[in-house]
Amino acid sequence: MKRFIQHEELARDSRFVRQDNAQSTALASLPDDVEMVVNVFEQFSPMIEASVRGTSAEPLFDAYGPGFALTILNEPLDPDAPAGLTRLLLRMHGIFVGELQALEGAARSLWDFPDAPWEFKMNMARQAWDEGRHVQIFEKLLSHLGGEVGMFPESTFLFECACSEDPAMRVAGVNRGLEGLACDVFRDMIKYAEKTGDEKMKQAVDYVLADELTHVRFGSEWVREFTKDDPEYLKRTQEYRRTVDKQFSFGGARSDREDAAIPIAWDDRLEAGFTEEELVDLAELSGSGPSKKTLIEAAKILRERHAAKKNASKSSPHEGVQS
Amino acid sequence: MSEQRMYPGMSPEEKTTFAPYSAFDIPADLRELTGRYDVEAMARRCRNFRYAEEWMMMLLGGWVATIPELPVKTGLGKIIWETAQAADVLGKRLPELRCGKKAVDASESANAAFATFIQSVCEPERPDLTIEKLAGVFDVLMPHLVDVYEQTMRETDQICDAPTIELLDEIVRKRRRHIAWGREVLDRLSEGEALRERRRVRVAKLNEELHASGGVTGTLGEPRGALN
Repeated sequence: MKRFIQHEELARDSRFVRQDNAQSTALASLPDDVEMVVNVFEQFSPMIEASVRGTSAEPLFDAYGPGFALTILNEPLDPDAPAGLTRLLLRMHGIFVGELQALEGAARSLWDFPDAPWEFKMNMARQAWDEGRHVQIFEKLLSHLGGEVGMFPESTFLFECACSEDPAMRVAGVNRGLEGLACDVFRDMIKYAEKTGDEKMKQAVDYVLADELTHVRFGSEWVREFTKDDPEYLKRTQEYRRTVDKQFSFGGARSDREDAAIPIAWDDRLEAGFTEEELVDLAELSGSGPSKKTLIEAAKILRERHAAKKNASKSSPHEGVQS
Repeated sequence: MSEQRMYPGMSPEEKTTFAPYSAFDIPADLRELTGRYDVEAMARRCRNFRYAEEWMMMLLGGWVATIPELPVKTGLGKIIWETAQAADVLGKRLPELRCGKKAVDASESANAAFATFIQSVCEPERPDLTIEKLAGVFDVLMPHLVDVYEQTMRETDQICDAPTIELLDEIVRKRRRHIAWGREVLDRLSEGEALRERRRVRVAKLNEELHASGGVTGTLGEPRGALN
């Protein structure tokens, strides 16, 4: 068995639908410019349409066009909002596949770094069990909400970004970048469950969040250990984590901005071992993407153009047929 | 109850009394101070066992991403952790067997042939080879380890080496559960003659290689009368 695998090689059963990661990558680096956001999404439109075909996201594409993800990602979860359940399921499915990739990342660290210290292997083995349980938990929560595995396409963007071939960067990416994002998302999910009185979801996600704090701590300790006595290596590792954090901010959807769909879980992150300085840095770099106003404006234009295109194809059914 | 006896102290003031027990109060300890393995031999065994457990943990970790069946991925998570714990307690036994404080992460293959056998178990990589992957671990390697651990527990000194017996006993208890789970999964995956045949072929090939290597301790073929 070879060391290191690419995200395209992650094995899935027939229920899963794979989404191209290019969309997530582009979203992570968009500027605060309406026209630019519209252009990028129009360019990706055929790819987005193909990836949602046959999934529960297909009606969202039909209704909102290629920018449907902008609406989903950039609005806080609200049970009373239109398509509130679909958006909740989309987020829950995203968490489920995120946990799956975290399981694969942690377990793979055991194989990819055979010469790592024994305590590192013990931590990764423990994390593999925890992530396996998290996959089971979110599969059950998905079902609890009326959803199912494979109802939305899976982007393997998290694995692609976080799974470096360097051990310090792997733990910086997976345990501090990905698991840090999990802290933010889960705190938000707990608040949502409190709001809707969903005790089952609240308790389950609270347990998962407790595990994630432990995983972030593993990351903080191993980054320190792997880079000790090598400030240059530590600097490169921190830069790598900043890049991952920027990508995992989804253009500002996860940030410390007032309009963020997923706020940074400041207290949980401090408890997990992030420093104030790191969190200030995270708030700054995650908030530098397009503003919510820009994204809403872009989503509106994309929706209008999508509707116009659909109407045009309806009114001229023989378009493209040579007379 | 017999009369209280005096404990023979240094002076009459220091003497304490105790109630003597009869032979029927506590069952006689029938264990004998004898075992097949001395300290050095048991330390070698622990290093050999740890080698197998550590590699099993690593290869299962490598496979999680390459196995498409979701319940297998998640089920392996717990087995990986319990395998890591097994390797960990075996390592922690080593300093107690006079191997030095730094020996806690010492793993050692009994011989080159067993190391090659482990690499053969690791070989399957493609997503369509779940049967071959699981058969190597749950039909061959794990049952072999359980057999050897049980034999070791029976043959080692029951009093002097009780700590090794205790830790192996706990590992075997969990291993039995892992084997039952793995075989249930394999039975489900191997429905149909062609798939069952794939499992049989894989098991036969690996068993042959395992026995040729002498197993985890390299002593499978040796006469049982030999000490250590």
